[in-house]
Amino acid sequence: MKGTLVIFRRELAGLFAAPLAWILLFVALLLNGYLFSLVLSQTQGDVTASLEFVFGGNFIFWALMLVLSPLLAMRLLTEEAASGTLEYLRTAPVSDAAVVLGKFLAGTGFMATLWSSLFIYAGALSIWGVSPDWGQVSAIFIGAVLSSALFVSIGLVACSLTNIPLLAAFLAFMACVWWVLLPSLGGLLLIQMRVLLADIFGSFETAEAWIGGALERMDVRRHFGNSYYQGVLDSAEIIFFLSWIGLFLFFTTRSLEARRWRG
Amino acid sequence: MQASRAFPLASPLRLAPGAGTLLRPMIEVSHLTRRFGSLVAVDDVSFTLDAGEVVGFLGPNGAGKTTTMRMLAGYLAATSAETLKVAGLDVLRDSLNVRRHIGYLPESVPLYREMRVREMMSFQGRLHGMTRADRARRIPEVLERVGVLDRKQQLVGHLSRGLRQRVGLAVALLPNPEVLILDEPTSGLDPLQRAEVRALIRELAGEHTVLLSSHILAEVESMSERVIILRQGAVVADGSREELITTLGGRGHVRIEAVLGDADEAQQLLEALPGVEQVESTGRLGIHDGFTLSGEGDLREDVGALAAQRGWALRELTEQRPNLEALFARLVMGEPVVDEPRPGTSESGSPPPSVPLTSAPSGSGLDLMPAAAPLGTPGEKKDFYSLNPFDGGGSRDLSKPVSSAASDDSKSKDDRCDEEDDS
Repeated sequence: MKGTLVIFRRELAGLFAAPLAWILLFVALLLNGYLFSLVLSQTQGDVTASLEFVFGGNFIFWALMLVLSPLLAMRLLTEEAASGTLEYLRTAPVSDAAVVLGKFLAGTGFMATLWSSLFIYAGALSIWGVSPDWGQVSAIFIGAVLSSALFVSIGLVACSLTNIPLLAAFLAFMACVWWVLLPSLGGLLLIQMRVLLADIFGSFETAEAWIGGALERMDVRRHFGNSYYQGVLDSAEIIFFLSWIGLFLFFTTRSLEARRWRG
Repeated sequence: MQASRAFPLASPLRLAPGAGTLLRPMIEVSHLTRRFGSLVAVDDVSFTLDAGEVVGFLGPNGAGKTTTMRMLAGYLAATSAETLKVAGLDVLRDSLNVRRHIGYLPESVPLYREMRVREMMSFQGRLHGMTRADRARRIPEVLERVGVLDRKQQLVGHLSRGLRQRVGLAVALLPNPEVLILDEPTSGLDPLQRAEVRALIRELAGEHTVLLSSHILAEVESMSERVIILRQGAVVADGSREELITTLGGRGHVRIEAVLGDADEAQQLLEALPGVEQVESTGRLGIHDGFTLSGEGDLREDVGALAAQRGWALRELTEQRPNLEALFARLVMGEPVVDEPRPGTSESGSPPPSVPLTSAPSGSGLDLMPAAAPLGTPGEKKDFYSLNPFDGGGSRDLSKPVSSAASDDSKSKDDRCDEEDDS
C-alpha cells in the first residue's frame, strides 16, 4: 500500500504539472462560478438554493462529472500505456492493484479539487452574507466526490481495454453516460423486450418490477439526490458508491493483468 | 553450454574484484516460450547469466529480444517455461521480489516528461522503498555517474534523446539492482552518444549482471564479451566471438605457404600435429606449396615451430577466420550459415586441380609432364627468375602475369629445373 501512496502522489503531481489539468479546472470553475452568481442574483440571494442548483441541482454538474472523469481516466491509464510509462510502472516493484488504486485516487483527488470550490462559495457567502448550512455543504461535497470517483472507476475499466487514447476516452464517456441514463432508458428497453421478458418472468409486470427496480437502484442521481443533496450522510449510500467503485477497480486490475498474457 | 564458456578467451569481467560473489547464476532461463496467438515470438529459449556477466542479445528486428526481456522483467507472462529465474527467484511466482532486483530500461526509455530529472529519480527511489537518506545520498551519486548531474533540475521532456537515455539508465541504476536489463540502450543515439553509453555499460560490468540487446553486431560486441544470437525467437548461437564463429561458420583455418621440399611428407607432418583435424593442399605456387589446416584452436604456433624445425622457408602463415559480420548478415537475411564455404578454397580458387596434385606420388614428375612440357621448352621462354634461395630450383616466366604463370609453374617447376640443368 506504500506503493499506492507513492503512485497517488506522482499521478496527482503529474496531472497538475501539465497544463491540461489547469485548463480543465479553469474552464469548469469559470462556468460553475458564473452559474452560481447568476442563480444567486436571480433568487435574490437565496444561499441554499444557489448552492443546491450549482452542485447537483442542474445538469451542468453532472455534465462536468461525465466529461471530466473519462478524460482523467484516459490521461491516467491510456496515455501512459501509449507513451510507455505504464511499462515502467508495471515493471517497478509495485502490484497492479497498487498502480490502479494510486491512479484512481489521483483522478478522484483531481475531481475533489474541482468540487472543493463549493467551500470557496460557501466561505465567501458566510463572510459577506448569510452563513450556509455547513452540514449540507459537506455532505454535498462528499457526495460529489464519491459520484466522481464512481465515474473515474468506470472510465478506468473502459480505458484499460485499449491503447488508443481517443478511443479510450470515447468508450469511457459512453460508459459513464449510459450508467447515468440507464434508469431512464431502462423503461424503453423493457417495453422493447416485453414479449421476451414476459416469457422469462411469467408476466411483464413481474419483469418490470424486478429489472426496473434493479435499474432504479443503480441510479446515481437518485442516490445523490436522496441523501447527500439533502445533507444526509447515509451509510447505505456510502456503501453503494464504494462497492461499485471497488468492483470497477477490480475489473481494471484484472484487465491490466490480462495484458501480461495478451501482450 | 557451461563447458563452452570456460573458453580461454572468456571475459576478464569474471575476474573482477569481489569475485567471491560471482559465478552465481543471476538469470536462469530454460525452455522459455511465448506465443502471441499463432505467432511464436520466443521459441524454447534457454540461457544462463552468471553474476557480473555482461551479455548481449543480438538479432534482427522481431527476433524475440524485447519479448524475452519483457518476460524477465515481469511485464509479459511466459506461455511456458521450465525455469525463469532472476537472482534465484521465480519470475512468475515471485514477481514483485524479482522486480526489486532488476533495473529494466525499455527501448522507448519511458520517463515522465512533465517531471524534472531529480523528481523522476526521487519517484523511482520511493517506488523501490528507499529511505529519504538513501535517496539523498544515492541520487546525486548515480546522476554523477551517468553524467547528468548538472541537468537534475531540467524537465525530462526538454532533454535530448541521448540525455534522456542516460537519465533512463540512472533511473534503472538507482536502486542498485543486481541485474540490469537494457533493451537497445544505444538505439537512436548519435555516434558520440553511442560511444558514451557503451563506455558507461562497460563500466557497469562486474558490479551488475547486464543483459542488453541490439540488432547491430559491432554494438553488442563493444559492450559485451558474450553474445546470444536470436533468430525467429530461437537461440542460434551463444558465446564469445570465437565461439560464435565456430557455431555459425565452422572452425578457423590456418594457411601455410612454404618451400618445403616433399609436399606429401610435409602434409603428413602437418596432419600429425596435435589439434589438427584436416589438412588440405592448395597446390603449388611457384616453388611454394600451400596447405590449409583446420582444427582446434589457433594452430599457427605449432605450424611455425614445425616449419622452424624442418627448415621450411615460410612465405605465409596466417589464420583465416570466417568473418562474423558476414555470417551475421547472412543470418539476418534468413540464409543458412552452416554451409559457409572454406575460406581457403573460396579465396584463392585458382588452383582447382589440387586433388590430383597431392595424390600424385612423390618424385613422379612424369605425371605432370604433358601439361608442363610445352611451357618448359627453352625456346618459348625468354626470362627465368629463380625464386628459391635454397636449392635454386624454381623459376617463373616473367612475360606472363603472376597468377597465370604461377599456376602453370606450380605444375612444371621440377621439370623445368631439370631441363635447365641439362642445358
